[in-house]
Order: sequence, then C-alpha cells, then structure tokens
Amino acid sequence: MNNELQTKAKFSFPGGTHPPGSKELTRESKIQQGPAGKQVAIMLSQHIGAVCKPLVEKKDQVQAGQKIGDCDAFVSAPVHSPVNGKVKEISLQSHAVLGRIPAVIIEAETENNPPKQPCSAKFTNDFNDNSYSAEQIRTRIRQAGIVGMGGAGFPTSVKVEPNPKAPKETMIVNGCECEPYITCDYRIMLEWTNQIVAGVKLARKAAGCSEVFIGIEDNKPAAIEVMNTALKTSANSDGIKVVPVKTKYPQGGERQLIKAILKKDVPTGGIPPMIGVLVLNVATTAAIAEAVVTDWPLTHRVVTVTGEGIVNPGNYYVPIGTSVAELIEFCGGLREEAVRVILGGPMMGIAIADLTTPTTKTTGAVTVLTEKQIGGAKFAGIQTPCIRCGRCLEACPEHLNPTKIAHAVKNNLLDVAESYYISACMECGCCSYVCPANIELTGYIKTGKILLARQKKKIPQ
Amino acid sequence: MNYLELWNSAWPAGLTMLSLGSGFALILLIASEKLKVEVDPKIEQIHEALPNLDCGACGFAGCGQYAKSILEDPELLGKCAPGGQESTEKIAKILNLRISNSDAPKRPIVHCRAHTDERTYHAGYKGIPSCTAANALANVQACKFGCLGFGDCTVVCKFDAIDIVDGLAVVDYEKCTGCMACSKHCPRNLIEMAPFGCENMMTVACSSKENGKSTRAMCKVGCIGCGLCVKQTDIFTVENNLARVDYKKYQPTGQTETALTKCPTKVIIYVGKTASLVTCET
Repeated sequence: MNNELQTKAKFSFPGGTHPPGSKELTRESKIQQGPAGKQVAIMLSQHIGAVCKPLVEKKDQVQAGQKIGDCDAFVSAPVHSPVNGKVKEISLQSHAVLGRIPAVIIEAETENNPPKQPCSAKFTNDFNDNSYSAEQIRTRIRQAGIVGMGGAGFPTSVKVEPNPKAPKETMIVNGCECEPYITCDYRIMLEWTNQIVAGVKLARKAAGCSEVFIGIEDNKPAAIEVMNTALKTSANSDGIKVVPVKTKYPQGGERQLIKAILKKDVPTGGIPPMIGVLVLNVATTAAIAEAVVTDWPLTHRVVTVTGEGIVNPGNYYVPIGTSVAELIEFCGGLREEAVRVILGGPMMGIAIADLTTPTTKTTGAVTVLTEKQIGGAKFAGIQTPCIRCGRCLEACPEHLNPTKIAHAVKNNLLDVAESYYISACMECGCCSYVCPANIELTGYIKTGKILLARQKKKIPQ
Repeated sequence: MNYLELWNSAWPAGLTMLSLGSGFALILLIASEKLKVEVDPKIEQIHEALPNLDCGACGFAGCGQYAKSILEDPELLGKCAPGGQESTEKIAKILNLRISNSDAPKRPIVHCRAHTDERTYHAGYKGIPSCTAANALANVQACKFGCLGFGDCTVVCKFDAIDIVDGLAVVDYEKCTGCMACSKHCPRNLIEMAPFGCENMMTVACSSKENGKSTRAMCKVGCIGCGLCVKQTDIFTVENNLARVDYKKYQPTGQTETALTKCPTKVIIYVGKTASLVTCET
C-alpha cells in the first residue's frame, strides 16, 4: 500500500502530449558490454561552448583515459580517449547537428585492450562525500570533461560553479526519460543505483544546494522504488527526495520538470539558475561519481539502441566515439523495413544520413524506425493546410502558438514570428506530433530561429 | 406652401453647415501655412532618378529612404545596384557632385557546379523544402559546402534572375541587377559578389574545404585543391584545399585558358552572359 502511494504521481505541468512509450523493447534489457571500438572518432566539440584543440598528433600513441583535446575557455569541456591505441588522423567527421567537424580518429590496439567495465560495483550504499571538498569535486568534474548527458551537452563544471549573485538552493536530478523508446537512464537507475546516489551527493556538495529532488516518471515504478530504498538506507542522504512525476512528454524538459516539482516558472529566455535551481541528468550524476571517486574521465556511456528497425535492441555500455554503423552492426544490423536512423529519440532526436557518424557524450540512444512507426503520410511528407484546430496550442508546453509562428516563418515574416516568442520554443516536437495535417511545425520554427540568427548577425560580404 | 415650409426648416441647417465648413477651412488654411514642413525638392528628383524597385540592395528600406539618405550623406552615392551607372550619374547631376571612376559592377557567382546526379547522397531528404531547413540537418547531402538546390535564392530574387536547374542555382546574368539578395540568403554562403570587369568571369565553382580524397568521394566535380591552375597563372590561389580566382586581377589570357582546360575535375568555368572565352573590353 505504502509503495503504491509513493509511486503515484501528483506533479506535472500544463500542456504536453502522450506519445506511445515503446519502451518495452529495451526496458528489461540489462546493460551489456557494447562493441569493443576497433576505431573510435573523438569529436573535438561534444558540448555547448568552445571547440577543443587537439593535444595529440597523427601517429601518436594514446592511453585509455588520456586527455586528447582541451580548451582554456570557461564554457568548454576536454575530451579523452576511451581506448589504448594510435592516432590514425585528425580529420573532419559527420556530426548530427554541426555538420562536419574535426575529430581525432584512434585505431585501438588489438591486444592489451580490455574493454572498460562500468564502475558501479565500486559504490556501496554507505558512500560518504565527506572526504571530498567542493572545490576538489568541481576540479575533477572539469578535468573529466563531464557535460549534460541528457542531450544538450552543457558543460557540468559551468553548471555547478557557485555564483554569488544567484545562489543555487535546489537541485533537481532528472530521471524522467520522457522521450519514447529510450531506456538508458532507466537501466542505470536500476543497476547503478548506489553510483547515482553517490553522484547526487557529490553534485549537491559541489553546487552548494540544500534540497535535492529526483524526478522520475511514474511509468518507472521499479526505478522509483530502488532509488527510494537506496536513499533510505544511505548515509548523509537527508534532503534528497524521490518525486514521482506524471508520465507525459516532455516531462524531462528542465523547465517542465521545475514547473512540475517546484511550481516555479523559469523566465522566458532565462535559465534555471536565475531562480536558484540546478538540473542534472541521472547519467550526468553517475559520471560525476565515477570521475570524482575513481578519477576516470567520461569516456564511456550507456546507449540504448532501439526501434522496430533493429534486430537486437538493447542497452549497451559503449566507448564514446564508436560509429553508429558499428553499434548497429553489433546489435545484429538493420531490418529490411528500417527507413530512418535517429540519434536520440523519435521526438527530439535528429535523423542522420551518414552512418559513420560517431557517438558523442550526449548520444543516449540510436533509434531505428520503420515506415509503420513514422506513419505513411508523415513519412511521405504529405502536408495538408492548417485547419486551425488548435491542437498544437494545447500541446505546447511553453504555451506558444506554433501554427502562427510556422506560418510567419513560411511567409518570411520574421518580425511577426519574433512577436510570437519564437525563441522561447525548445523544439520538443509536441506540435508536429499532434498536428493532424502533418505540418512540420517544429521544423519551421527551427528554420525561423536560424533565419533570425542570420538576420541579426551582420553577414560579411 | 410645402416648398416654403421646407425652405424655412432647411436654411438654418444649411447656414450652420456652411459656417462650420468655412470655419474649419480657415483653421486648416492657417495650420497649413503655420505648420508647413519644408521638403527638399531634390529628394523628389533623386527618387525619380532611382529605378523605384525597392529591392533593398543599397541597405535601406526602399528607394525613398535611400533618396533621403543620399541628400544627407553624399558618400552613399552609387549604392544602387539595379540603377547602375545611369542613375548614379543622374543623381550626381542633381546634387552637383562629381563621381569618381566607379568600380566594375558586382554580380553574384555561385560557387558550386554539381548537379543532383553529380553529388553523393547518403539518404533521401523528406523535410521542409527550403535550403535553410535542410541545412539544419547535417549531411542532408554528403558535401557540407555545395548547393542544396531548394531555391531559397530564387524566392528572394525580385528580378527572376536565379533559377534552380537540376538541383543547382544558376544565375541569369541578363536579368541580374546585382542586388545581393541571393548572396545574403544562401545558408551555405555559396554566392559571392564579384566585380565583373569583363563580359564574363572565370571562377572555381566549388566551395569544398575538405581534402581532395573526401571531396572526390562526395562530388564528381569538386575542387580537390591539386594546384595545377596555380602553376599556370598567379590569379589562382589555393587555400584550405580550395582554389580561388582573384576576380580583381582576372584578364583573359592564354594561361587562364590553359588552366581551365588542365583542371582535372573541370571545376574552373566561365560565368556571365556568355559561357565561353571573350576578350575583355577594358
């Protein structure tokens, strides 16, 4: 009885949609060792901020965990090699968002290259953060190159840096995983529970937060239960609370999560620290624990390879930099019906054309969809005129008017689009998902944002 | 009898309207004299000398705005691309200015020559048919630099002077006025404004900064940065695996013709009103 009460959610936000979760494909699949990474391509920009400069040259020998790219800028994060090997070349590689960007390509040694194991076994329930100072934790976070692993990739070292003007009081750990198909965060909550709890304690100390809420969607009762039990028995876990939140997309968006748990609004155009909140993903906290306790940088992560178009969907522990093609091959390859490969989930992920695209620190999933899942008309790109039904207005979690913005962008009226707060859109994709006319609303809004940025910046002639 | 009654009731109304009307007319008359705004007749004259296309190439909202600005700052003379030399001379006459020897007119050059069947595609694109939207998706075509062929430039061209032919933007130099709209809107910055000293211009129609091997894999007609053209004449330079023509220095000579024929990927081409070698007037 008590358990049922705990896992029942009371918290949510207005708007949003309920796409089919499709998580049953990989929900029960334990985290397995992924492909060995015969050749990895480490992107020099896997985060928001300044691009790293390579610290190695062609034909250099590198060790696993060695720093191979760094930058002095405040908003940046170094990158490390996940394997022992030799630098094959530094060349341009396909990136899902940035196009072609420089990457260090490392050929792994065939011998003497044991695959790295997850370090969750090193953490016990009685982990205590007393032996680490806040300063020490922050330095290690920076050196380990930890970035937001939920998808945005904002350097965590910048996030936890205390700011006297806006002290962070509350920390929210994001374990919602509202995106359909993806289960990597769910699996690490189940399997690396103690590591996450340790990471939460360390992050709390680094950022100087007093309260911590771990938000988990109520379609993951098992995760809510194990996290709760771990916290109850763990030392020094006062003030850390698991909060079940309603299963709704995009519950894992940081603004939506803050609204659901704290009932506070982040100002439009602002960021959570403005209202004294810090939001971290569960995978990020796990990486913090590993970096601080074992002093190992962020070189591996759990990736969900899923979708109806893949032969063996599952959750895999893979070296960062493994190509999507290698991952797909490891999972038995593509089915005949597979038509679209997406980095990330189907709602916010980005379709990739080039399967040699390497995974990065922010790649949580590779979703392979079939035509049936996308929907025939949507896949064919058949758009019909807007019938002003207003479903996109109801679905928009930011309370925008997607159809007005999209029409303004379509007709090149950027000032009108701006007057409807185009920049407040976080591109969650709810509007495109609910549109009965299959209009690519999010696509138009994204295009409008790019055009606006271009217009504001003086283009050199 | 009836008419008299009607007259009796109508004349006070008529008189009231008349007096009201003349009263307001008087107020307006005084106001128009007292609050008169002096408009320089030159603005009107300059406006007439301009082509009145409101294309925005000068950087102002329209021809009227530009005319006003020239009067305040004569330095702005000669910014009208569609009007060209003719309207510049007319305006100079109105303002009693002497025009310095103006530069060659600028015309757009599309730095890509690959048609759909010459490019490599990894997968099909089914999204919004706009270059800006397609460009947001990385690897929509293998080449990150080449023309996308959705025609954002054709939409903004007010003179119908740029068209998409087989997935490639092609400029009609007969119609082009050099207003730069296409150049400003290309999301891949492929279209460069070059001074056309001659009837036509020689160009390296490629923008790929990838190395030769990658470029070859992505496109059949890309510049591989081999530098054969540089050996022929000094108007060519190779930087970042990409050859470029110095448009200011270009003069048709035997060497430039040799460079064009020697180019292994045939990426050096003539652009302009004619697509073959012509002798330069200047």
